[in-house]
Amino acid sequence: MNATTISSSDLSGLAADLLAARVRVAGPARASDGTVEYRHAGAPAELVLDSGVPRRSLKEFFLPPTEPLFAWRTGAGGRVELLEAPLPADPAVVIGARPCDAAGIEALDKVMGWDYRDEPWFARREATTIVSLACAGFDRSCMCTSVGLAPDTTKGSDLLLVPIGGGAFRAEVVTAKGARLVAAYPARFRPASGEAEAEAFRKAAREKVAASAPPAADPLRPWLDAHFDHPLWREASLRCHGCGACAAVCPTCHCFDIVDEPETVGTGVRRRNWDTCQTPRFTIHASGHNPKNDQPARIRQRVLHKIVIYPKKFGEMLCTGCGRCSRACPGGMDLPEVLARIAALAGGAQ
Amino acid sequence: MTELRELAKKLLAEGAAKVVIGWEEGPRGVRPAFATDAAAADRLVFDARCAHDLAPYLDRRRVHVAKLGRPAVVVKPCDARAVAGLIRETQVKREDVVLVGVRCGGVLADPEAGGTLSADTIADRCRTCDSRETALADHVVGTPVEPLAAPSRRDARVAELDAMTPAQRWAFWQGELARCTRCNACRQVCPLCYCDRCMADKTQPQWIESSPHGRGNLSWHLLRAIHLAGRCVDCGECERACPSGIPLGLITRKVASVVADRFGHKPGDDPAVPSPIGTWRSDDPQEFIL
Ligand code: SF4
Ligand code: SF4
Ligand code: SF4
Ligand code: SF4
Ligand code: SF4
Repeated sequence: MNATTISSSDLSGLAADLLAARVRVAGPARASDGTVEYRHAGAPAELVLDSGVPRRSLKEFFLPPTEPLFAWRTGAGGRVELLEAPLPADPAVVIGARPCDAAGIEALDKVMGWDYRDEPWFARREATTIVSLACAGFDRSCMCTSVGLAPDTTKGSDLLLVPIGGGAFRAEVVTAKGARLVAAYPARFRPASGEAEAEAFRKAAREKVAASAPPAADPLRPWLDAHFDHPLWREASLRCHGCGACAAVCPTCHCFDIVDEPETVGTGVRRRNWDTCQTPRFTIHASGHNPKNDQPARIRQRVLHKIVIYPKKFGEMLCTGCGRCSRACPGGMDLPEVLARIAALAGGAQ
Repeated sequence: MTELRELAKKLLAEGAAKVVIGWEEGPRGVRPAFATDAAAADRLVFDARCAHDLAPYLDRRRVHVAKLGRPAVVVKPCDARAVAGLIRETQVKREDVVLVGVRCGGVLADPEAGGTLSADTIADRCRTCDSRETALADHVVGTPVEPLAAPSRRDARVAELDAMTPAQRWAFWQGELARCTRCNACRQVCPLCYCDRCMADKTQPQWIESSPHGRGNLSWHLLRAIHLAGRCVDCGECERACPSGIPLGLITRKVASVVADRFGHKPGDDPAVPSPIGTWRSDDPQEFIL
């Protein structure tokens, strides 16, 4: 794998160069209450690398909480005209993405390009370069190693930065897009160094996460298939408020709602907005019948979609183990705990 | 703790309750717990990390909780005010629930971080809460506690906002509300947001746009502020649940001060005292009616 080295000051310099070239720069930055979230940066100093897991995931840069799809206007003779929303094509570079977030974006490419090609999604994907920062393992909710990933996974990243001490990073070039970024700003990069240090960092991080993460999720699929109505779901979901905070912060929860909103008489906009399977409204039919009519069914849906349904359809997990759902849940639901419980049940059943 | 656990076991053993809803140690600090047997009752805890309001679990829509049978709920004074609200508004019958009051000296602003309660670490809402134990309880446990004297940072912030020009205040709230994704977590965890069909979910006609753009978010937060006026019990759950870190407590606190000022009302734990939004008096202030 092609690699290079970049210092912290050159990384700031790279952000400054990009901003000067009118490229949008995004990364972890502080919100008004001091919490870290992914934001567009106006200046390199706003980026706070490696200061915790940003509150919400990176997905909002590719699938915004709300976005217009097209506008309509009723013209002469009552003819309805459709005006397509321009495709988002502003070049952007994300600096300091968490590897679990970058991996989530790549996992979503599958569903976004399956029965039809989601144009806004892929327009943003093509215009955006993701520079991730290998993670040292954050807290006990991290479980990337349980879903076939790792704190230093390159999945979804164009460039992966690995700390090698002295404020420098070894930068692994993962994709052609990453190579183009390095080639466009040669003054910011130095010849590759610190291979051993990078390897040591990666190994330590993987061991740290694996030490507290639940057993691998892949082997749980047969048990889950055979125990759709297991009491586990009823017990686990008692504390769930159906609030959807888990889906809002998740890098891979991608369900959306489509709404038509009138703006003035005869004009309006069709938008798509984030939605979640954790509310009754998500599945209610026009007849009033609701196939997922209680919270146990909804919690089961979220877990099964992540580790059974999506993998069966697309060959990969719909969970990157980022731990956000556990951190955000006001009811104290904990995905690592649920998976460990399933693993224990599956182990006993075999 | 022993007192709470022994009481829970007694309630379960005597059949007074089929489930005791309290708190237990979870993977990330304490969390809501549903004890249906003695072993689970022995895991119940109460300390300054127990910030969660458990009253929302009495919501009739939570069928999977209701199926457990007659509940006993452990309530801090603020949670008892929430239960009082549910009784007042005929959502819960007093005789259908056993209330276990815990004497409370306040909870931590950051319950996950743990630590001891001090003037620095106490949650903002507890700095202005004046009840240490509730009268709305079948049993009261714990030792009496003295209130902690700590100035309310939230009140200071509300005063700062009040002192702003309308344009500055508008800019502040636009900035904050721009982060709202309309996940509805604030509503789902709110003990008093129990409406079967929330106004915000209505589509015929649609009063509140569901899109999280400036217009939709402003309508949503105005709607909720008004619907909770004089009903909000300051349990802090909406702000705690918001995954986007929106300072919803500033809204609820401001509205509460307006209700106190204009209607002389503060939501308490007596279900017999009507709330201003659910009642009408000929001497209600009405000079705003043109
Ligand atoms: S399900 Fe939870 S741990 Fe998995 S990607 Fe989503 S938020 Fe992260
Ligand atoms: S964040 Fe927790 S309470 Fe809210 S829907 Fe998800 S699991 Fe349920
Ligand atoms: S919880 Fe926060 S993000 Fe969700 S709807 Fe309420 S204010 Fe908006
Ligand atoms: S509005 Fe917020 S603070 Fe008030 S009762 Fe509802 S959840 Fe609690
Ligand atoms: S916002 Fe209003 S209508 Fe909606 S659930 Fe709350 S009180 Fe009911």
